[in-house]
Amino acid sequence: MTLPLTALLGSIVISGVWRVAMLIPLSLSVALVYKTTRCRQVRDIPMAVVGLWLTIVLGMYAVGVAAWLVFMICVEWTA
Amino acid sequence: MAASRLMDQPFARVCLAGFLSWLLPGAGHVAIGCRTRGIILMVTIAVTFWTGVAIGGVQDTVQPKKRFTWFLAQTCAGVHGLAAYSWSEHARAAPDALENANPSYASVDTGVVYSGIAGLLSLLIILDAIGRADAPSEEASAPAGRSARERAP
Repeated sequence: MTLPLTALLGSIVISGVWRVAMLIPLSLSVALVYKTTRCRQVRDIPMAVVGLWLTIVLGMYAVGVAAWLVFMICVEWTA
Repeated sequence: MAASRLMDQPFARVCLAGFLSWLLPGAGHVAIGCRTRGIILMVTIAVTFWTGVAIGGVQDTVQPKKRFTWFLAQTCAGVHGLAAYSWSEHARAAPDALENANPSYASVDTGVVYSGIAGLLSLLIILDAIGRADAPSEEASAPAGRSARERAP
């Protein structure tokens, strides 16, 4: 019982690609809560959540890649 | 008996749904009869909030002095935010417990975002519970444990 509690005291080291990957479970939580409040029927929730989750993840990564490309182009121009 | 009589009064029903939703996100939905939704919301908020605390460490994630606006968001998660705050204060007061703490600021930021977003989602849950309590649907008007079809004679 003590071990899990003391494990929560310190932070976990997250670096590199894992920082970007942390978006995936967070966006699942957002999709789950949003669709649970919006869907009329409870049975519609799973499919709606998957759809919104994929939209958020793909959309956010697309925005990230676009921003990175713009940054790289600006770096090329200024070099 | 007294609780069911209280839930029959519209204003009390709205207040109780809002307060329970703040205290334990999802509990307001359970109280007004949306049991499945309430359990989904309860589990999602608890997992998201405590994942954030596990990533950033309890002593750095819930920090009203350093991150006041994030702390406000975290307090919307009710008992989760209050428990994490109380625990972080307790951990700060006990220096022995901090020996193994290894603050990594990138991780702390991720943890703060997780727990803060869990709090903001709780705000959405509170508003939804109030809306459902104010205009109860067929699902919400069913008492806990019995569906509307079961209640029909």
